[in-house]
Amino acid sequence: MAEPCSPAAKCLAQSAAAGGEGPGVEMDPVEFTLRKRLPRKLPKRRNDVYVNMKTDFRAQLARCQKLLDGGGQREICVHGLGLAINRAINIALQLQASSQGALQLAANTSTVELVDDLEPEEAGLGGAEPLTHTRNNSAIHIKVYYPDPQ
Amino acid sequence: MSGAKHRMRCKKMRNQPSSVTYSSPGWHNGGETSRSGHWHEHTPQGRGHSAPPSGWFRGHHVGGNVKGGQGYSQELPKYITASTFAKARAAEVKAMLKAVTKTTGSSHVFGALPKHMRRRAMSHNTKRLPARLREGALKMLEKSQQAGQKEKKEQPKSKSRKARRRHGNLLLEFNRRQRKNVWLETHIWHAKRFHMVKRWGYCLGDRPTYKCYRACYRAMSNYCLLQDLSYYCCVELQGQEELLLGALSRLTSTETGPTFAAGLCLSGRRQGSAVLYRADQYPTQPLGPVLFLWRPRSAGSTHRQLWIWVHPSLKQDLLPELQLVCQCSEAVVPPTPVPLPAPEPDPAPGPTEAPDREPPAGRKRKRKSALGGSGDTVPVKKILGDGTRSPLTPVTWMSDSTGIVIRDLTMEIVRYRLIGPLSHSVLTDALTPASVCEAASKPETSCFWWPEHCKEESNMSLHREQADIFHLLKGLCSTGEVPSGSVLGLTVDDPRLTLPGKRIKVAPDVQQLEGEADDGRRALMLQGVPEHCCQSALWDQAVRHNVTHSKIPEQELNRMKSELLVPGSRLRPTPPQGRVPLLLVQQPGKQAGQEMASWGAGWDLLLPKGWGMAFWVYRDVRIGGQQEALKHSQNKGASHFPNDFPDCPAGASFLQEQETQLLDNFKRRPPAKRPNYIKHGCLAPFRCPWQQLAEEWEMIVREGEEGDLPAPPPRPQPQLQEETSAPLPQEVTSRPDSAASPRSTVIVLRNRKALRTVSAWCRPTCSRGRRWRQPAQLEQLGPASVERLRTAHPSSLVWVRLSLLRKGRPSLHAMICVPTREDLQQLRTDPACCGPQEPRHTDHFMSRLKRRRKALKPASSSHKEERKPPEPGSAPSLTQGPEPGSAPSSTQGPEPGSAPSSTLRPEPGSAPSSTLA
Repeated sequence: MAEPCSPAAKCLAQSAAAGGEGPGVEMDPVEFTLRKRLPRKLPKRRNDVYVNMKTDFRAQLARCQKLLDGGGQREICVHGLGLAINRAINIALQLQASSQGALQLAANTSTVELVDDLEPEEAGLGGAEPLTHTRNNSAIHIKVYYPDPQ
Repeated sequence: MSGAKHRMRCKKMRNQPSSVTYSSPGWHNGGETSRSGHWHEHTPQGRGHSAPPSGWFRGHHVGGNVKGGQGYSQELPKYITASTFAKARAAEVKAMLKAVTKTTGSSHVFGALPKHMRRRAMSHNTKRLPARLREGALKMLEKSQQAGQKEKKEQPKSKSRKARRRHGNLLLEFNRRQRKNVWLETHIWHAKRFHMVKRWGYCLGDRPTYKCYRACYRAMSNYCLLQDLSYYCCVELQGQEELLLGALSRLTSTETGPTFAAGLCLSGRRQGSAVLYRADQYPTQPLGPVLFLWRPRSAGSTHRQLWIWVHPSLKQDLLPELQLVCQCSEAVVPPTPVPLPAPEPDPAPGPTEAPDREPPAGRKRKRKSALGGSGDTVPVKKILGDGTRSPLTPVTWMSDSTGIVIRDLTMEIVRYRLIGPLSHSVLTDALTPASVCEAASKPETSCFWWPEHCKEESNMSLHREQADIFHLLKGLCSTGEVPSGSVLGLTVDDPRLTLPGKRIKVAPDVQQLEGEADDGRRALMLQGVPEHCCQSALWDQAVRHNVTHSKIPEQELNRMKSELLVPGSRLRPTPPQGRVPLLLVQQPGKQAGQEMASWGAGWDLLLPKGWGMAFWVYRDVRIGGQQEALKHSQNKGASHFPNDFPDCPAGASFLQEQETQLLDNFKRRPPAKRPNYIKHGCLAPFRCPWQQLAEEWEMIVREGEEGDLPAPPPRPQPQLQEETSAPLPQEVTSRPDSAASPRSTVIVLRNRKALRTVSAWCRPTCSRGRRWRQPAQLEQLGPASVERLRTAHPSSLVWVRLSLLRKGRPSLHAMICVPTREDLQQLRTDPACCGPQEPRHTDHFMSRLKRRRKALKPASSSHKEERKPPEPGSAPSLTQGPEPGSAPSSTQGPEPGSAPSSTLRPEPGSAPSSTLA
């Protein structure tokens, strides 16, 4: 992995976890512990940038800028999930603004299915079973690219 | 001069002439003249024939001065005789030559050589020496050899290396060496690459000899790290379900979390974990954590089978307790075939129809005789399993009243642990589900288990289902996507048939990621493996034996491979004995805390014994040892057994051993080079005196309550309670009245409810990027609730996890101190502040010693100084040790059941960690 900032993809989960507290099934917090699994991690190309809420914003912006300027990429893809959607949009717009109109954006939205485990705290005889829930969270994928010369 | 130096000098000078005296009464001028370097005749008699050409005499300018010459005239002889003079010189020269030629006792011949001319192995091969020294060296060599022979009497290595390395002899030697400590099946592999340690009666790989600390970490977080966990002991319990649960419930408590009776675990779909206590002793006298696995129910039977996996240091404590609660007192003598009291309801055909094979116990005895005898006629058998146990040691216990059978399956099952997000890819790459036997339709019985197994259609459909699920694993991106603790039974082909020709890198299958088997994968991710697919023939002892003993030898397999028409192609058809039943168990990753969720998740691979090396994965994995296992648990935020269990007997003995080892290391340095822990203000550098800490904390609390004055004790409790977000003390302390009966031991608090309460109290009220709501159901923090908690759990410790605010790394046995108000203030105002430094303490022992030494200096110059580290009894009070407001480090909220850092405490003054700012 020559990717310099690969942890970003991993940390995507945190943003998702922080952002996705949807009104799921009402549960008693004393009886269950909520444990969120990480979102599915897909194979990552060199020009994929997963945005999270933990890394400094400027660092993420600089990383994208570097990929476009020196990294030899004609297009990059900025992904954001949940709370990080805002930041992904922000990064894409900043990139476009700083390029003086040379860059174009194409945004796609999607839905990501996330899995939550509910583990019973006190499982005696005939106690509660561990449960699994799914919930959905929004994601955005913004393609930032230089348009073809013709 | 110190004693050692003096002795060395004495030894060196032993053979040297101390002073040259040539004292014979007739030669009056010999001795005197020997001392004058430049002798000159200065007598009136001698003036005639030898006048001094120069006026110099012994540095004095005489120049014909009569007076000057007279100054020496008393000592100097008037004349010398040439013969006496020459004789005196001759004696000197002789002594000098003797001193030069005689080698001193300690030095070797090549000690005469300058350093740059010395070469390696000169002491073995005299040809490496310059020719002039060879003779002496040869003599010396002979002498040392004779001395060595006298000591050892007889050389055991009389055989040549070639003979020793011959297979049979090597095996004999290996078997001899296995009698003391058990070798894992991968021992030879590990011994070539790892630093081995002897621990808990096993030879274990501690850490690799090559540098791979970071690489192992990366493997754990990005790829896959493999570890041999076969040294974990498996104890099998068989019996009626209710009886088993009833017996085992005496060892556990529902307050500590799920027990043996937890629903999903009981069905056999998940592996569970529990902390065991001595029978009916909860919450005191914990034994340690175990993993357990139930065999899935078979239709219409309440007879169950349970495997309990325990750490080897825990086994000798656990077995008596199990025998007690199950009332299994009668040991079944092993030479008789192991009885199965209840007919085992297993889908696989139990009995092995092997007429030519002797029963297992008999085989063991035969091996023993082969060991005892010369091993000429009977070929030496490789030891499989526990080689240290004598064949007569009982491994099975059963009870008449309950019908429960306890069986010690130590070393019967190989357990490998794969850690990392790609471990499932490694597994799917290395293993192929067993191919169906074509001979299934034939009527005659086979001596191997698989053809028999294939005859039943239900088995085959089950196998197909299991294989389908196994293929689904290929489509996962990370091991953490499967529900934690899932179990999958499987039968696979011999993995030696599918070894990759070239080293390959595994990666999840991209086609499968987008693939059509989406529903199946979803079900796997949500529900886990269905119950019937958790069944495996590995549970069956007869099948295990059959598989172990019918394994094709490596040699045979290689011969078959070499006869293939296309070299390197797969062997077809698969030989009938090359099917291995196994169990795959998912290991959950990081569960404590909010960050890096499911880090370090992986799969455990359970195999029948004998197959260890065949499955030792040669794919793109890194291999770790004990050190890596420890690091894995630390990074996972899980407690590591036995390091983090000071209240368990195994943990206590571990701490004891660690202390003696550290102390040994410390004492090995010369006194001047030892770190002065008194000056550093380190009270217990080699161990954690939990007991003392708990007692003294109790005392402080009592004083604080009685006096209600905040000043005198360095860390008054009232103040602590005001700062609600400040860390809860390392322990919850007891009330004075309950402390009237002194407890002998501290315990680690494992009550989930209490831990949750403490955790909620200690949680930072505000933290970056995290929203936190206080659950309304929990008790609010107040004096009354604290009091109640204290009464309920007297003198107990709580595991906490510390995260550092800035750089730095906590070192072993460092101290944590409660921050004072000024520290927090400073931290808030100055973002670059690293916290106060621990001031230098004065070492009273040292100064006293110095003073005494000054007084005694002329008398005893070689007085040896022995500075002992502060003994626990005489040490200054633990809680008063650090000055008030010295090293600030506050604990982050302890998460229930989370954190490992009970022994890992940040160094004073190195890195403050407080999340209060």
